[in-house]
Amino acid sequence: MKIEREGERLTVTEINELTAANSSNFRDEISSALTGSTVVIEIDLSKTLFMDSSGLGALFALYRSTIKREGVVLRLLNPVPEIEQLLELTQMQQLFEVVRR
Amino acid sequence: MKAILICPTDGTAVPHLAECGPLVTVPILGDSIVAHWIERLAELGARQIEVIAPDRADLVREAVGDGARWGVRVDVTVSRFEPTRQESVERHNPEGGPDWLPAPHDIVVMSHLPGCPELPLFESYASWFAALTAWMPLALTPSRVRVSQVRPGIWIGSRAQVSPTSELIAPCWIGDRASVEAGAVVGPGAIIEDRSVAGTTARIAHSWVGPDTFVGRMTSVSNSIAWGSTLIDWRTDSVLHVPDPFLLSSLSKSRIAATTDRFGRAVGPKVPAGKRVELAKAMGTPRAGASDAHLPA
Repeated sequence: MKIEREGERLTVTEINELTAANSSNFRDEISSALTGSTVVIEIDLSKTLFMDSSGLGALFALYRSTIKREGVVLRLLNPVPEIEQLLELTQMQQLFEVVRR
Repeated sequence: MKAILICPTDGTAVPHLAECGPLVTVPILGDSIVAHWIERLAELGARQIEVIAPDRADLVREAVGDGARWGVRVDVTVSRFEPTRQESVERHNPEGGPDWLPAPHDIVVMSHLPGCPELPLFESYASWFAALTAWMPLALTPSRVRVSQVRPGIWIGSRAQVSPTSELIAPCWIGDRASVEAGAVVGPGAIIEDRSVAGTTARIAHSWVGPDTFVGRMTSVSNSIAWGSTLIDWRTDSVLHVPDPFLLSSLSKSRIAATTDRFGRAVGPKVPAGKRVELAKAMGTPRAGASDAHLPA
């Protein structure tokens, strides 16, 4: 997983999977990278081929922490169709802005 | 009178339906496709039906027995290839004999449901779903006493359990022994097959839920084919093997065995080794220790 900051934007890329094995790490690393100046958080899911309920839980925890910060936007970028199906199954696509670029 | 039913074998467009058995044994609206056809031909007066089965004939035989259930004699014949209707007419009934059902019911390729020749079943997942929803009003025949239409466009199995706080939106079909729990919303365009469960506050719309399938609490199945832990978006053919059983899973022991590995993890259909390599290259490096079967087909 790679975290990059560019001005007010925090971009998380190269997430191959989001499961019980790495969801805590995912949450902690992003939380520690967040600063008061962060306005946009983009999670690039284009390389994420596997996600389970722990991964969904980590995304939900991130969502909850961002709604506490007024004006912060959380986006999921380019999820593969299978991950999109999982988001729809769990109705989590309603929480996130899903963007395809 | 005599008739012949031919089992189609080309399941390449719907591989996840074909993986557990011959296409005609897939259960829809409470019975297998071949059973629906035998019932229709028996209604039309057939008393002797030959089923030509090029694919796993033993499973077809298991599905139909000897035909006593419909008051007809059924013989399942093994064939090395799938004959066309025309080939079978020329071979068995070229003269349109009086002891045969009148055409086109004398020889039928079961690539569609009875009464819906314009809706092919196996051309794609979308065509499969379209055929099922169109056929819903035709599925209730006089011999089917375990399902009844309780309101226009809403069919419920006699032993189904439907919570009074659930919402049913026509058209929808809830199979025998199925269960719709509190707050669940089923329909429009939803088919829940026998013994399946729509959990508390689950939402199912424009979807087919196969038999013995658990749709978990608060989950939303839309525009999909859900069978066991497999979820197929019939618009895009995207296939997801849901890893968490509380979201979507099989209630059938045999299907659990077929769709999970020895650690109980969901696995997909077998992908040829060459194809796995191509997919791995196309999709990047899979997660460490992951089964190849997780790669999208």
